[in-house]
Amino acid sequence: MDLAGALHNPDQGWMQRYEIVKELGDCYASVGEYENARRCYEQASWLEPDEAGPYVGTGVIELQQGRLEDAELAFRVALRLDGCNSRAWAGLAMIAQQCGRLQQAFDYYLKSLELDNNHLTALLGLFQVSCQMGTFRQVIHYLQVYLQMHPADTSVMFCLAALYAKEGQIRQAQDLLKDILALEPGHQDARQLLEELEHKALQKGRNEV
Amino acid sequence: MTFRRSQHGPLVSILISTYNRPQYLAEALESIFRQTWPHLQVVLVRDGGADVEEVVRRFDDRRLTFINRAENRGLPYSFNEALAHARGEYICYLGDDDKFYPHHVQRLVEAIESQDRCGAVYSDLYKVHCRVKPDGRRIALAKNLEISRDFDRMLMLQFNHVLHVSVMHRKDLLERAGGYNENLNVLIDWDLNRKLCFYTDFLHVPQITGEYYGPVGECDRISVQRRKNVQDYLRNVLTIRTTRPPKPWPCVEDLSVLVLAERADALLEQTLRDLWSHTFYPQQIYVALSPEQASGWRPAVPNVVVVPAEPASSLEKRVDRMLAVCEGAYTALVPTGLAAEMDEAAWLERSLCPLLECRQPYQAFELVEATETCWGAVFRTEELRRVRRQYGHLPLRASLQAGGFSVRKPKFEEYPFRFDHFLAAAEQVQQEGDWGYAAQIYAYLAEHFGNGLWMRTRQAHALIQAGRCGEALQVLEPVLSVRPTVSGLMLAARIYQKQKNYRRAIEFYEQARRVVEGTEVQRRWIPPIRRKAVKPAADEPEMSTEESRVWT
Repeated sequence: MDLAGALHNPDQGWMQRYEIVKELGDCYASVGEYENARRCYEQASWLEPDEAGPYVGTGVIELQQGRLEDAELAFRVALRLDGCNSRAWAGLAMIAQQCGRLQQAFDYYLKSLELDNNHLTALLGLFQVSCQMGTFRQVIHYLQVYLQMHPADTSVMFCLAALYAKEGQIRQAQDLLKDILALEPGHQDARQLLEELEHKALQKGRNEV
Repeated sequence: MTFRRSQHGPLVSILISTYNRPQYLAEALESIFRQTWPHLQVVLVRDGGADVEEVVRRFDDRRLTFINRAENRGLPYSFNEALAHARGEYICYLGDDDKFYPHHVQRLVEAIESQDRCGAVYSDLYKVHCRVKPDGRRIALAKNLEISRDFDRMLMLQFNHVLHVSVMHRKDLLERAGGYNENLNVLIDWDLNRKLCFYTDFLHVPQITGEYYGPVGECDRISVQRRKNVQDYLRNVLTIRTTRPPKPWPCVEDLSVLVLAERADALLEQTLRDLWSHTFYPQQIYVALSPEQASGWRPAVPNVVVVPAEPASSLEKRVDRMLAVCEGAYTALVPTGLAAEMDEAAWLERSLCPLLECRQPYQAFELVEATETCWGAVFRTEELRRVRRQYGHLPLRASLQAGGFSVRKPKFEEYPFRFDHFLAAAEQVQQEGDWGYAAQIYAYLAEHFGNGLWMRTRQAHALIQAGRCGEALQVLEPVLSVRPTVSGLMLAARIYQKQKNYRRAIEFYEQARRVVEGTEVQRRWIPPIRRKAVKPAADEPEMSTEESRVWT
């Protein structure tokens, strides 16, 4: 988002104060100081009542504290202000996932990724829900897109390799696992899965013989 | 006039004109009386409008001179009136809705007294973008350093880059310049600075010492409203650009423009209009015409001298006539019919600037658009005169050749405003998404063109956008140690946030927040008067003490 002109010149935006308190809220939330974060989000939404950011932030801290109803309310307010807010959709998806509404969670994660295919939380959430539901095709697509943008993200590479393996695309899974180990030789999960796949391939070969 | 200095050092007169803003005036005056520099005189002029006596009465201070005029006569008139009452060796200004930080005057006095070269100094000010509530309270939304530019005389002649409220100058310099031009109704700060730069250099103190405000959305400022009248605005611009303050000019060398016209016709008029609207360097224009052509001819632009020439005299004879009377250290020969590009702002200056910087004798620069048949160039006047005296029997260009003149077109890199060209290039590549290249250009500018703090901040910003946060931090840290602006603090915070060092990010964001909310500077202030706090509405979050005042 270009905060009223600040993208190209750091001394030109007129939403500086809003941005400061909103980002402060995010930082306080990241270190677990939820009351400070909440105060910052309140001030941010007072400064710019039409911005969705502070409501998303509030939703995140409510979610982290297990107050799902309050979190859902905050995310819905955010979406009313900005229907294309990828973080708010991801927030709703997480709530749905925690409540066991897997199909709804799947749809919301998908919506979030349609708006921002670079959204790692939504991507990993979608991966988890897919595993729970046993539907992988759409996740594979989003993981592939994400990896085009972040080709060295070994955590996402591993998820994709696991999905390839589940879908029976053994060759792709093995190649990806080898890539992970080239980037991160100490990646134990990758090593184990690769060994497992090689072992299975060996057994399959023996059986065929 | 010589000034007697008290043991406190030089007296500084602060001039302030007020019109219909009593609600902000008190805040402005408070900021003056909180100055750490005690040896002050404050000359306040009420330029008509709302009564401010009640506000003034609250400041029972013998340093205050109040001129209570009911009639609205405009800023230049008011400042001239205030100047007549000013007793200070140095003058500075404050808008009736702006404010100084407590060290403003002291910092500028120290700077102006620390050297002999500059009779004018200026600091940096935050522009406070604010939202104005119905009760007049202003909610600060951002504090930006929109202008922080080292002094550049050529730029000052072309347009202003020094804020009026940030300037302190010797009083005698403005007296020499003839005071404020009362025919202007906008850009009077540029008129002042431009005139001063004929007599002195300006020293830039890159430190933030005050604030001026700019409401977000529709602005009620008189100066902003007046700029909307394009014709009137242009009239002001052209009046300022053609102003020639009284000589001698120790810091600007005059330019004589000799127009090579055969007669007073439409071509000549067009050339004069082009000179008026496409050049900015101070100039006197000369036109050689026969008495019968000159009679009844009135040039439509200022600063034109008609030099009598014999009827049907040759081009060379007319040039020699004009050369004999012209006074500029530099001379431009300009043919009629040589059209300036529509958006060209430095028509002659592109050829003049390389000559001003050139040390080689008998060098001249052709006008960029000049052709074989429509030719003109810029010379050092004495050299041109000498050659014409010696080879006056030859045609003009043959005489230049015989006299050993080296004449060529200027190269693009010799044009004026190189810094601005590079800056525009950096902004262009930014727009195209090449932040890494933009960062490289900013680094080059910081190294070769001054404006270091400004360019380093832009470089750090570009590096962050390019994803090179470590390098950005290295560039930013020395800048922040000298001048921690809100934008700089936010950049540092953003870097730490990206690196997931949230504690450090919080430190920087909190510092930025204190500056925007006004509590960072406020800590050192001692409020001289008690005021009623404005009670916040029920739905407003808790605010700092500073925030609950009229100015937030």
